[in-house]
Amino acid sequence: MSVAAVPAAQVQALPSTRELSRRRAITRFRWSILGPLIALLVFVLMPVLFLQLYFSLHQWTVYLGTWWDAEYVGLELFQEVLTDPRFGWAVVRSLSFATGSTIGCFLIGFALAYLMYKPFRGQAFYYIIFILPMLTVPVVVAYTAEMMLYQSGPLNDLITRIIGIEFKPAWLTNPHIALPTVMLLEIWNWAPFSFIIMLAGLTAIPKEPIEAAEILGASKWRIFWEVQLPLLRPVIFLALVLRFLEAMAEFPKTWALLQGGPGTATETLPVYIFLTTWQYFQISKGAAMSYIVMLLMVVIVLFAIRLLRREKRSLDTMYAKAAARPQELA
Amino acid sequence: MTKFNVSRRTFMEGGVGFTVANLLPGTTPLAFAATMEERTIAAAKTVGAADVSGMIWSPYLVPMQPVIADFKKATGIGVGAVQDISIFDTPQRAMAEALSRSPQFDFIHIDSNMIPSLASAGYLEPLDEYMKKADFKIDAVGDYAKFMTYKGQTYGIPTDGNVHIQYVRKDLIEDPDNKKRYADKHGKELKFPETWEDEFRIQQTLMDPAKDLYGSGSLRNRANGPTWWYMMFYSAGGFTFDDDMNATLNTPAGQYAVDIYLQEKKVAHPESAGWGTPQMIPRIAQGHVVTAQYWDGTARLNENPAKSKTTGKWLYGLVPGSDFSGKRIHRSISSPLAALLVNKYSPRKAQAAYLALWLGSGKNSIPIVSDPVNTFNDAWAKEHMTSELVQKAYSPAGIKAIEANFQVVSPPTYLTGYLEFQDTLGKNLSEAYVGQLPAKDVLKKTDEEWNAIVRRIGRTKLKEELASYKALMPKRNVPA
Repeated sequence: MSVAAVPAAQVQALPSTRELSRRRAITRFRWSILGPLIALLVFVLMPVLFLQLYFSLHQWTVYLGTWWDAEYVGLELFQEVLTDPRFGWAVVRSLSFATGSTIGCFLIGFALAYLMYKPFRGQAFYYIIFILPMLTVPVVVAYTAEMMLYQSGPLNDLITRIIGIEFKPAWLTNPHIALPTVMLLEIWNWAPFSFIIMLAGLTAIPKEPIEAAEILGASKWRIFWEVQLPLLRPVIFLALVLRFLEAMAEFPKTWALLQGGPGTATETLPVYIFLTTWQYFQISKGAAMSYIVMLLMVVIVLFAIRLLRREKRSLDTMYAKAAARPQELA
Repeated sequence: MTKFNVSRRTFMEGGVGFTVANLLPGTTPLAFAATMEERTIAAAKTVGAADVSGMIWSPYLVPMQPVIADFKKATGIGVGAVQDISIFDTPQRAMAEALSRSPQFDFIHIDSNMIPSLASAGYLEPLDEYMKKADFKIDAVGDYAKFMTYKGQTYGIPTDGNVHIQYVRKDLIEDPDNKKRYADKHGKELKFPETWEDEFRIQQTLMDPAKDLYGSGSLRNRANGPTWWYMMFYSAGGFTFDDDMNATLNTPAGQYAVDIYLQEKKVAHPESAGWGTPQMIPRIAQGHVVTAQYWDGTARLNENPAKSKTTGKWLYGLVPGSDFSGKRIHRSISSPLAALLVNKYSPRKAQAAYLALWLGSGKNSIPIVSDPVNTFNDAWAKEHMTSELVQKAYSPAGIKAIEANFQVVSPPTYLTGYLEFQDTLGKNLSEAYVGQLPAKDVLKKTDEEWNAIVRRIGRTKLKEELASYKALMPKRNVPA
């Protein structure tokens, strides 16, 4: 009987007791974190999602019968929602609102972060000032803005005095500018959010590439454009995606200020879903709408995750190349 | 002459026996209670003391508090925790309560036009039994008490009449220069408007935007606009549905009402498309409008010199009517008509019901509707019309106007699904007002959308409710 020789490298050494204990501790730690999350998913989120799915597949009229006796209608409600022009317009308004306000928030947030990321005297004071709008309750923002934005209100008056020409846009009652007005309020309210994320991103950029570029005599603009910005790309995507998702769900300011009006100028998705569910009491249609919006958001999030991964890969490659270069040079 | 031989002992025993019998639940213990208020107290005592909780907006609650304190003293029934939310947000909250069959709130103070929806959702306790036990009657002006009923049962006790009356600036209309200008321009005497056309002519002639004086103070925003449109539509002889529950807005009467509604854009403030009461009431009281149909409480504000710059400068009267149908018809409106409704699922529903009756007696509600600062609860009872306190608050002319308008008061769509009917109409009118929708399409679109609502809620169900809605329509075309 012959015994095949096995190279020593192929023999797996049995883990030591200490290693086993370490692995068990890691597993326990993982479950201690994952357990509550899974419980939350199973016992809180999933029942709500299933209930919502049930409602969106059953036509329940709150005035007739109980919800568990509701008539099964299959995908009829989804079809109704998808062929409802009012829903289509609400999607268009929400997308344009979210896009506009996300870009606005990002540009302002990034600009402020760029001004603030290097330490200077009194930085903490400015930091507090810049994040104050984010700490203001949206409904308060709406009511304060209402006072400011009357045609003969302080804002128009102030601008008229500054430019010397009568400036009297009807910010809240002209259907063409009502939504952009809410967008401006959203930017004011949430630009600090982008500011915080971008400030964290800028602060976390390794100093070496910037110092290297400075030594090589690159201008500040070139350093920003060719070093900092590429390194910040994952953070930028994160800031844009998070803000976009938040903006799609904006409700308090739009509702408190305009309730979807004038006409239907500010009837965004959250407003229309609210009206359908809590003004018209069409719980089932509201559930179907919410599902469609949720799917839309999931698509956006998946797309964003893909982009983020691509950005991370590209960054990893860039860092790997940068790490390899000194060896090549040597 | 017969002499009754009743011994002192027999008399005492009888008295005690009668008192005990009066205290037994389910009996009618109120034979000797002289007034409706005393009978309410006696009936309330039989259900025991409790602090009831409710959903009510503080401007309505504040003037009620002394009256509630009296009831607490007499019966032990008072108000404990309340959720203080705007009456415009209450319908959604109340419906959420109805869906969850929650016993949390014992009463809700809400627009009574929600009665059909909430009763259909099974949330409301009928009050007729309680009213019977207390021998209570809603002693309202005209047929207004019917606004509390649905399918023959009473579900609410009014606290706020909220009828629309006509406001015209007396100083402007009586000004000799204005009179001449109007006569030269229209060949008619300048006087209190009787028709919508009269009103528009007056608004056009007397407005002066350079002085921040606009013709109309009526509301045209999405949420409130339909309230005004209904007055025009009903006065043109229109009604919202036929007997088979097909929407009948898209008729000549409806189009006439749309035209009248939209023409006010020429005489209204440029921001009227988005303005509600927070913007318009101060403008009325501070003298920036020529005429308006408005809730009657604004008269109280106008006549309070501490709050108004126009005290004594107003004429109050009947809202304009229309000859469109071939005969003169005036239709005022009451919406939102705030009322106390009782939660069927509440363990303290009896206490809440008797508290509502107490607050809704003509006598008890006098201080509530005449509060000069919290002007949300408006006069509605016959007793209010003759009360010195109420007359002082509204001015005698104001009260006369309220009484006249109550005789021709009508509801908005008093059916299950009220909010949806209302918002759909409001959305389309608002779109037309800001130029997003051609005026000719407003009613066609609304009819289609209303018919879809009817199909969804159930034609048969709504046909059953139609009688309740029609019963609320006034029998008179002009007040007596």
